[in-house]
Amino acid sequence: MREEHGNVAPALVSKGEDIGDVRIDVPYQLVNILETVYPWTSGKIAILTRRCDEKALAELFKRGLIDEARIAMIGLGCSKEQVRLCRCEDPVPTKVDVGEVSAPAKGDELEAKLSKMSSEERLKFWVGQFKKCNKCFACTSNCPVCFCDDCVLEERTFVSEPGIPPGMSFHLIRSFHLADKCIECGECERSCPASIPLLTLRKTVLKDVKELFDYTPGDKKTTSPLLTTLDDQPLVGDECNEC
Amino acid sequence: MSVKHVLTTCPYCGTGCNFFLQVSDDGRLLGVVPCKTDEISLGRLCIKGYNAHAFVQHPDRLKHPLIREGGGLKQTTWDKAFDKIVHEVTRIREKYGPDSIAVLASAKCTNEENYLFQKLARVAIGTNNVDHCARLCHASTVSGLLTSFGSGAMTNTIPEFDNADCVFVTGSNTLEAHPMIGARILTAYDRGAKIIVVDPRETPLSRIAHLSLHQRPGTDIAWINGMIKIIIDEGLHDQEFIKNRTTLFDQLKEAVKDYTPEKVESITGIPKKDLISAARIYAKTEKAMIAYAMGITQHSNGTNLVKSLANLAMVCGHIGKESTGVNPLRGQCNVQGSCDSGGLPDLYPGYQRVLDPDVRSKFEKAWGKELPGGKGLTLTCAIKEAMIGKLKALIIFGENIMLSDPNIAHVEEALKGLELVVVAEIFPTETSKFAHVVLPAACYAEKDGTFTNTDRAVRRVRKAVDPPGEARADWQIACELGKRLGASGFDFRSPSEVMDEMATLTPIYTGINYQKIDGQVIRWPCPSKDHPGTKVLHTQKFTKGLGEFAPVQHAPPAEETSEDYPLILTTGRNLFQYHTGTMTRRSPKLEREAPEPYVEINNGDARKLEIADGERVMVSSRRGAITLKARVTDRIISGSIFIPFHYAEAAANRLTNAALDPISNIPELKVCAAKVQKA
Amino acid sequence: MMAEFDPTILAFCCNWCSYAGADLAGVSRLQMPPNVHVIRVMCSASVKPEYLMKAVSQGVDGVLVLGCHIGDCHYMTGNHRTAKRVPLVKKIIRDVGIDERRVRLDWVSAAEGEKFQKVITEFVNEIKGLGPNPLRSVRF
Repeated sequence: MREEHGNVAPALVSKGEDIGDVRIDVPYQLVNILETVYPWTSGKIAILTRRCDEKALAELFKRGLIDEARIAMIGLGCSKEQVRLCRCEDPVPTKVDVGEVSAPAKGDELEAKLSKMSSEERLKFWVGQFKKCNKCFACTSNCPVCFCDDCVLEERTFVSEPGIPPGMSFHLIRSFHLADKCIECGECERSCPASIPLLTLRKTVLKDVKELFDYTPGDKKTTSPLLTTLDDQPLVGDECNEC
Repeated sequence: MSVKHVLTTCPYCGTGCNFFLQVSDDGRLLGVVPCKTDEISLGRLCIKGYNAHAFVQHPDRLKHPLIREGGGLKQTTWDKAFDKIVHEVTRIREKYGPDSIAVLASAKCTNEENYLFQKLARVAIGTNNVDHCARLCHASTVSGLLTSFGSGAMTNTIPEFDNADCVFVTGSNTLEAHPMIGARILTAYDRGAKIIVVDPRETPLSRIAHLSLHQRPGTDIAWINGMIKIIIDEGLHDQEFIKNRTTLFDQLKEAVKDYTPEKVESITGIPKKDLISAARIYAKTEKAMIAYAMGITQHSNGTNLVKSLANLAMVCGHIGKESTGVNPLRGQCNVQGSCDSGGLPDLYPGYQRVLDPDVRSKFEKAWGKELPGGKGLTLTCAIKEAMIGKLKALIIFGENIMLSDPNIAHVEEALKGLELVVVAEIFPTETSKFAHVVLPAACYAEKDGTFTNTDRAVRRVRKAVDPPGEARADWQIACELGKRLGASGFDFRSPSEVMDEMATLTPIYTGINYQKIDGQVIRWPCPSKDHPGTKVLHTQKFTKGLGEFAPVQHAPPAEETSEDYPLILTTGRNLFQYHTGTMTRRSPKLEREAPEPYVEINNGDARKLEIADGERVMVSSRRGAITLKARVTDRIISGSIFIPFHYAEAAANRLTNAALDPISNIPELKVCAAKVQKA
Repeated sequence: MMAEFDPTILAFCCNWCSYAGADLAGVSRLQMPPNVHVIRVMCSASVKPEYLMKAVSQGVDGVLVLGCHIGDCHYMTGNHRTAKRVPLVKKIIRDVGIDERRVRLDWVSAAEGEKFQKVITEFVNEIKGLGPNPLRSVRF
């Protein structure tokens, strides 16, 4: 990220180019941007990665979507304020090349509050939030682990409302698809124009996945439980890599 | 191999979000990344913004000039195209006079280009006949607020919505038409602000609103006057403000005295208690903002409607302070700018009056030419003049009047009768079919320039890719035409030079230059180089001194329902398509979301007509008929139907009425009489 | 509302086992409540979680997914997928405030006509007890 025209812009800088005034305080989702630019580049790419970005890249590497050999990670440690805003419990990258080493947050307050509510209250809360949804697809466009070319949410079959807001199915389907991939970068929540607390929902579902399968996304060496048999063997046949 | 990120402004609505266009080395547009530090968008975009790159490099793009030969449009060279235009303009001007020619500027083109279009009309051709699509949307705002306040623009700014404690929205489907402004209203809502929506339809915002009032289309002065009467009767008006900052209050008081809640209910259908609640909440909340759009402006008494809203704000003193004001949400990416740049028949750049001899002589000196005297033709009048044979030539820059104007059958007749129709466009359209010369133009991603958004911010548009084929930027086309028509003052080497010239002549833009706006958000008035721009208007006094109350009365719409045509047709938009669809229908993800035309019919009304959801129906009015699918819903009040105007295959404007507001000439697109029957 | 409410229930039954089991229950004239709409699929794994989410969000009161017993899937590991997916779907709907008992997974073989009857009857009664899906009365 660097300064441009009075703003902070993401930038892909080639060898020999002036890198400009680098900024690390504005959290662009660089892995997501990398996915767009990747096919239009050659050679090795160095990328500023926070801990969540490292995990996102791990998910992309293990699905063969990005060649690990082409990527060099520059570890970016998030500031205390960024950790607080993300309610991040794992903020320090493997190697901190730039930025600070911050202590993790103590969990998501809203998530705790919701888990203590009755299901009526919880439903009322989420329906109230989803009513604001404008189908901007920011959550999918900016998500580093949302990689499907043909998004199922664009099909009338599953999201049948002809206008806005889309019904619950949009958000429920998305929650399922991300359950084994989300690395809690918080970009969905930051780019939502309706300020829906999407990160809280993601964290809640990740807790379920941990409870059901003892699985946490973000590790190159582990396979999603949705892609293995009950005996942890890879699923046979011409399966797609999604879920 | 690399990818660049070019910061530019969105070509869709008037919110003016900034984002980065991703461009590969070989000139391919890959996608859009929101700009997280942008003051207006805050790093968020709507679905159109995320797809703003999708239409740019579509194969349908016009790449070569076309000329009419033997009944069809054939490819030609720029030289031949210009020769033909110059020859015809000269011939027509000599034979019929310069006022037989009209130029349509473009709310989709940059400020620099619009400045050049009006200069082309006034200096190179010799007529004040220059207008554009603002005539169809906010012309009544410009004339209404000009009279009430002295300035026709949004009084406050978009970020201020976040901190409002009451947001009063009428005639605007904000979450669909201005999604990022809607996002601000949602932020206010999450903070506890009261949202009041007055709209004949149930919209995404009205479903969340605390108070949602549904009025019969065309009855707005009644409920606004009703609210004002309640506010005065209950002593909720701001007496200080009225005394010191306004005039004509007694006339207003007299005008509203008969609009009791009972009478208002009988005219509008709004329940008494709801009207009283709305009035009390709006009046008692200090930080109360009014936001409005087409539901208020597109009426045969649109100017009066706008003045009514101004009355409401002034009566409560909700103006000239942060998070208050009267906020028209301008539609096009640069409709504010095309008005600011003088693309209007009675106003030079900066809203300086053509009829004022001192002003005219200032421009004559600057441009080195004697300028035409009288008021020019508005777009809607130009069509009527063409129909009666008085207008002979129309030079259209980026406007699709065959779909956006009311009463399309008349527009078609008008175009067919013209001796010269020149269209500069990015795609072939329903309008370019009638052209004698078609010029391929560059779109927003292919040129430099500025757009002025609805809250008066002058924002940079930056070139990311080259235009396709032989297409050229409109500013280059206008300059070439000006030169070839023998005029001087068209030798510009860059859009920045054009802005510099415009700034010297336009007091509200004098402090604007490319270097200054490159790194900051500057809103006009910006009267000098070091001025930081103006956020809130009318803080100490109104632009015209004292705010003027307008004692206006409810008047029925121009066309009322009858036995033959029992339903009120109101037109509008949906989130996924944009205006005449030239850009959105060629963007796969947008087209996919809303691919078909439809008519919204109330459940009860549909049952009586025995029409099922999804059934094909014919909707007709005194002017034409279209067939499309019925969408049976409870989201429109009984007695009214709604059709979005984006779809050429079922053009809503085939049905609409070109009844014009006498002051602003805006057509009554929001009300006409129609009937629905099984197809 | 709790008294006499007629739930709408979908039952996705796989062709090789549970649908055959359903057939058997019918042919054996075993009594079953009438509210269940049976949808035959080739394998329980072809029931994409999207269908379950859509059903719940559109107000369906209960969704049953019935597959072959583990080890008996006609496509070898299809029901393994289902066994992983459905519990996750249940947790997700619970997270947004819908009772997770509205989605149920069970295994019924072609010979288990009685088990089919038992599962259906139990499920319908459970849903009757839960009442209508609250999303039925929510207007988005």
